[in-house]
Amino acid sequence: MNITETFGQYVTKYTDRNPAQGRRLLKLGWEAQNFKFRHFPDQRLMPADRYLAQFMMESMLAPLKSPDHSAIVSIFVPCELLQEAGLHPYNAEAFSCYLEASRVERYCLQQTENDGLSETLCSYHRTFIGAAERGLMPKPKCIVYTNLTCDANLVTFRHLADLYHVPCFSIDVPMTMTEADISYVEKQLRDLKLWLEHETGKTIEEDKLRSRVERSRRTLMKFEQYQTAKAEKYVPTDLVTPLYSGMTNNILLGTEQNEHYVDLLNQDIKKAGPARGQRIYWMHTLPFWSDAVRSLLYFKEDAQIVGDELQSVCSSDFDPSNPYRAMASRMVHHALNGSIHRRIDNGIAHARALHADGVVWFNHWGCKHTLGGALLAKKKFEEVGLPCLLLDGDGCDRSHGGEGQTLTRLGAFLEMLEADKAKDSKEVSA
Amino acid sequence: MNQTKCQGCEGAMEIRKNGCSYYVCKYTPLELMAAFEGEYSNLNHMPEGFELADQVINPNVCGFGKALMQSVMAGEVHELVLVNCCDTIRSVYDILRDSKKLDFLYMIDMLHSGWACSREQISAQLIAFAKAYRHYKGQEFDEAKFRAAFHPPKRLQEPHLSVLGARMGKQLFKMVQDCMPLPVQNDSCVNNRSVGEVMPPTLASLREELLQGTECSRTAAPEAAQSPRTDGDVLDSPAFARLMDWYAYELIKQIPCMRMMDKTGRRALLNDPNLKGIIYHTIKFCDFYSFEYADLRQHAPVPILKIESDYTTSSSGQLLTRLEAFAESIDPEELEGKKTNMGKGYFAGIDSGSTSTDVVILDKDNKMVCGIIVPTGAGAQNSAEKALEEALRQSGLARTDIDAMVTTGYGRTAIEDGDKSITEITCHARGAHFLEPEVRTVIDIGGQDSKVIRLDDKGNVINFVMNDKCAAGTGRFLEMMAHSLELSLEEMSLHGLNYKEDITISSMCSVFAQSEVVSLIAENKSTDDIVHGLNKSVAVKTSALVKRVGGEGKYMMTGGVSKNKGLVKTLEEKVGAPIIIREEAQLCGALGAALFARDMVKA
Repeated sequence: MNITETFGQYVTKYTDRNPAQGRRLLKLGWEAQNFKFRHFPDQRLMPADRYLAQFMMESMLAPLKSPDHSAIVSIFVPCELLQEAGLHPYNAEAFSCYLEASRVERYCLQQTENDGLSETLCSYHRTFIGAAERGLMPKPKCIVYTNLTCDANLVTFRHLADLYHVPCFSIDVPMTMTEADISYVEKQLRDLKLWLEHETGKTIEEDKLRSRVERSRRTLMKFEQYQTAKAEKYVPTDLVTPLYSGMTNNILLGTEQNEHYVDLLNQDIKKAGPARGQRIYWMHTLPFWSDAVRSLLYFKEDAQIVGDELQSVCSSDFDPSNPYRAMASRMVHHALNGSIHRRIDNGIAHARALHADGVVWFNHWGCKHTLGGALLAKKKFEEVGLPCLLLDGDGCDRSHGGEGQTLTRLGAFLEMLEADKAKDSKEVSA
Repeated sequence: MNQTKCQGCEGAMEIRKNGCSYYVCKYTPLELMAAFEGEYSNLNHMPEGFELADQVINPNVCGFGKALMQSVMAGEVHELVLVNCCDTIRSVYDILRDSKKLDFLYMIDMLHSGWACSREQISAQLIAFAKAYRHYKGQEFDEAKFRAAFHPPKRLQEPHLSVLGARMGKQLFKMVQDCMPLPVQNDSCVNNRSVGEVMPPTLASLREELLQGTECSRTAAPEAAQSPRTDGDVLDSPAFARLMDWYAYELIKQIPCMRMMDKTGRRALLNDPNLKGIIYHTIKFCDFYSFEYADLRQHAPVPILKIESDYTTSSSGQLLTRLEAFAESIDPEELEGKKTNMGKGYFAGIDSGSTSTDVVILDKDNKMVCGIIVPTGAGAQNSAEKALEEALRQSGLARTDIDAMVTTGYGRTAIEDGDKSITEITCHARGAHFLEPEVRTVIDIGGQDSKVIRLDDKGNVINFVMNDKCAAGTGRFLEMMAHSLELSLEEMSLHGLNYKEDITISSMCSVFAQSEVVSLIAENKSTDDIVHGLNKSVAVKTSALVKRVGGEGKYMMTGGVSKNKGLVKTLEEKVGAPIIIREEAQLCGALGAALFARDMVKA
């Protein structure tokens, strides 16, 4: 038994006895991990990604340390308003990843099964609900969520608000993209500002909000520059760094640390070596826990993930002088909003920009949007010359794995890409 | 052609009715469709399977979405009006749009909240839809037809049961109606549409209002209000905009479905004083309604049964036992067969299970004369006949000595010789109560399903749950694993008691779990440790059922799997209480059936 499994067992044991003890142990374990990230980072990562591991861990620890100053949020809530209200974003999906990595996810998932909640609900949501019900996740100040872009949001966050007895604000995003739709969301964001001021007793200053949204825009622009440069480069990566982008380019957008991270990325890319190996563009979440995926894509020179869909869901093309409209525009024009065609087109554009050799569409169990559009996506990617693998699995619940199948499918796909590349270079030399 | 509900399509889906627009959601503007000579019908047909749908959509999405896809791919639907109900329906729309299979396909972006701005947005959506539908139908807006389409919804005014939750397919609802002792109201999803309680204002009255400026228009600009158009395109007129604003409100003020952000209005579904019980329906891979069920199972004011279907007719059969058991629990008269006079004073119960057929014969003092267990061969009727023959032989009795006989188990209805058939849920409860009157929770792990039954102090069923269609957590799962380990079930039952390493089998799927077991064997893990891991896997599944049903001591386990000592020990740890295993554990269902047979005879 390894140390993480033992840690997970102790957390569950303590939580059963007294949830406060379980939380303390979890926080202690994560602080120890953060100490490691600070002082003994993984030297295989480039400096920016070493910093990112630590920045992410701190973002996770903040709600554990001061839950009264935290708001549970769904993944695509624009958090600049919350940051200005002095609230840490307490993101359900990210916490579920960390609970999985701490090996307490089964304990949490079991709780939702006991309740009779659907076993086909997204496992990120089930894990967080289970952790909340077991008392492992502390009570937040409030909850802010949006229907963008996942059905599970509509039930999970309402359920959590009932469970914790905390106020809850929902942002309804239409799936069409007219100016009226942006105005509809803008109105809600203005209401959110008033609501947050009421809940926290803190005034949100318009100038500061404007500067923060301007920082978001700047960060996104710098990230776009980084992605352009990355097309020709090899940046060593593990399996969690691409996932962190779900946080950095969404929830943590607008923070100084995030801008600093992107500045570091742009410094790193100048020193990175030339591109090599198979370059995979990954659609949707990533089963970072999977030994099968690890054996093929973890710090490998012959094959690596060069980009993840969640990194590039909105463009920097918005006007921060009206921060509410800017955030509303980001939500309405979000790549995952509306038709699956938008999501596929966005994936094609970014995969091409990063010079990807192939695309993995990860059929995360429980994500109906991803599963529903899978066959269409494969067809569309392949029509533009990007080989696409539909890989079934689960980003958070290893009981939905099938490691043998994952290894075979992903391995065969990489072999196929390798063969294609060899054939292409042969044709070029001929 | 009348611009009303399409009568031709209310029946079988096989016949295509030209010009019929199908819809799937109660927020669909049906009355507006009627205004353009449109016939409409609720697409609620359950196919036998998803052969065609599986070619274009991943199988792990909501069964209704696949049913919809199946109907279109089979050429049964040519016009479809969708609402963005959920991610599955959004995907269905995307795929169908790409396929170009339909003559008319439209999706309305129904927002998730009912506040004023949503109403404005929805009103604009309705106008856009009206234009698209007019263009397709080639008909102008007919106000008289629009108004004629408003009808107050019909509701049962007598004591009744309600189907709540996710939409229930036509064939399954018919089965529910046939099983239940009371009339059944379908209040699931699309079926609780309530538009029509109020008649719309006329366009003339709205024009008048605009002219008089009696009310500040939200949808029309002030200058337009001062000079409303009486000519030109009616769909662009301020009066029509105001009518659609009214209509948008009528649509969104309905009892909300679970995808709406504020669900408090759903309480209305429970407030009917004539409501006597709830059949809560969920669809595999539709997650919205399990949350409401999780709440209702604790707070419902009336008895509640949860059933889950995959929206095929093949799944409906498996639900029959649950429905019949629920009917038996809410109406004890269901259990009383035709009374007969006492003859020789012997009563038989036959439990026709997937693995074994069990027979119990009681005498008039409820003493067990004989109890036998034989493997179920091909055909329930045949096995039951053989088992009964053997039981009579061992008891020295003839068939004519049996005054009444009750059959139970999955093959109960196939046995023609019985006087009555009762579900194994009710029979296990009765048998367990007879053996141990203090038992309040019965755990039965059978060959093809597992069930946990809650009893009251008289042995009546007050609640029960069963596993889903998956084999995980059943006797079949253990059989598969025993096969991989090259053990007999008897050998397997003793392994796992003295394990050293606490292995967790992480895969829930039986097939993947089998691969995991093979890997563990390859890693030279001891048989005891692997068997304990498997026992734990089944125990965790079963204890989840115990928690869902609100299990209370004393606990009793029935069925063949109760012989598995290792599993029972692990299950006791998970449940946190001792579990009574009686010698007659495997005969409990047949015993209950024999006791019901005894009730049929006048003393």
